[in-house]
Amino acid sequence: MKFASVSKAYGEHVVFDRFSLDIEEKTILAVVGPSGQGKTTLLHLASGLIEPDSGRVVRESEESGPVSYLFQEPRLIPSATVFRNVELALRSSEPCAAIRSQIVHHYLEMVGLSDSRTLYPAQLSGGMRQRVAIARAFAYPSRLMLLDEPFQSLDIKLRYSLMEAFLTLWSESPKTTIFVTHDPKEAVALGDAVCCLGDPTRPLLHKKIDTPRKERGIDDEALLALEGRLIKALLDS
Amino acid sequence: MRSVKHTLAILISAALLLVIWQVGASLIDSQILLPGLTPVLSALVTIMGEGPFLANVTETVVRALQSFLIIVVSASILGVLGGKYPLFSAMMSPFVTMLKAVPVMSIILLAFIWFTSGQVPLFSAFLMGFPIMYVQVESGWRTIDPSLTEMCDLYQIRGVDRLIHFTIPSLAPSLVTGARVALSMVWKVVIAAEVLTVPRYGVGSRMQLAQVQLQTDRVLSWTLIAILLTALGDLLFELVVRLGARAKKAVDRRRAA
Repeated sequence: MKFASVSKAYGEHVVFDRFSLDIEEKTILAVVGPSGQGKTTLLHLASGLIEPDSGRVVRESEESGPVSYLFQEPRLIPSATVFRNVELALRSSEPCAAIRSQIVHHYLEMVGLSDSRTLYPAQLSGGMRQRVAIARAFAYPSRLMLLDEPFQSLDIKLRYSLMEAFLTLWSESPKTTIFVTHDPKEAVALGDAVCCLGDPTRPLLHKKIDTPRKERGIDDEALLALEGRLIKALLDS
Repeated sequence: MRSVKHTLAILISAALLLVIWQVGASLIDSQILLPGLTPVLSALVTIMGEGPFLANVTETVVRALQSFLIIVVSASILGVLGGKYPLFSAMMSPFVTMLKAVPVMSIILLAFIWFTSGQVPLFSAFLMGFPIMYVQVESGWRTIDPSLTEMCDLYQIRGVDRLIHFTIPSLAPSLVTGARVALSMVWKVVIAAEVLTVPRYGVGSRMQLAQVQLQTDRVLSWTLIAILLTALGDLLFELVVRLGARAKKAVDRRRAA
């Protein structure tokens, strides 16, 4: 995926000015940046929800089609069960109810919610609701995945358990992913590359992470150094 | 334990009303001004044994149900349009404000000039109940969570699926509240219109005839029948709402199994 010389402004506020960025296919780009510096605009441009004022957002053929979006909050339909919330996202692409049911069961099992499929969102904890949202995002037949700080409001233990659930599903069917977060540690743990916004004309930092995700530890010096560089870029922006 | 106390409180309160009525009747001691419990109950039994009793009750019930259904369908459709399109809402606003402000009696009297006596209750009840339900549905639409609407757009939840699984459940509290209040209003207006226009059959017509003949016991008996009809209507409405909710849960559970 490519942002080619993209410009976008809201009135006087210029968010992007001939901004370019490349995202490698079937990888996760983790994006950090201060509030109001274009993180959500980047996702909206990538999803096609908004159009750039000038420039182009290019999606490779493998990335074209529907987009899965994982929001900050789970955004589940309160009157629908866990099963139905996931299944509804499949109806536009899969006409056979039995196949839809199989897919939903598979993804609910992957996030550990098989036994909760008849429950309603109000009967679930915050973490369980976000797991349903993750299952929905992966069950939906998309080629591009956009994550808008989906783990932000959770405690650290839950956050890492959800990130693990996310990565298990992602490894099963990798798709080009943009992961927006406030937290440099989260960015380094999840991304194949990290990027820091803060200047409308260019990324303040754009770095590929060579260490495979499975081998990354919290005391890895290279990763700690990268985290430090991200924090510095954030502070300088 | 709490529900026993609750029921007991209702029963004591109802008994207290009857005692006040009976004591008032004894003090006034006039069958025309305020008959006691016994003559009213005996008049009630007589009325229920009379031939046209069922025709009178049925006609009133049919008029009330007809206006109620017309209100539910029209106010739901127009309320959704009002909630979705601000321009449409602005166009509806003078009409709705006028209907909320016009006295019931003016509507009934005007309707009596334009329509036959059988149609007046239907028309008047519609005009009085419509704005209540319309306002509820319109504001209900505006309270639908926009972030969920965005989610439905992104995950391509559209058409009938969106209507059944998202739109209608999101509007359900407003629809139920609007319909409940409109139903109570419909009974009152239908009977009031029957009193004024005296169609051949109807609870209100019988009340009016009894009043003209100074048969206060029969007026009160027909009033009791009107109260019972309203209570029964409310009860049936609650039953339908609960059965609907239960059926939805059963379908959800079966589908997820």
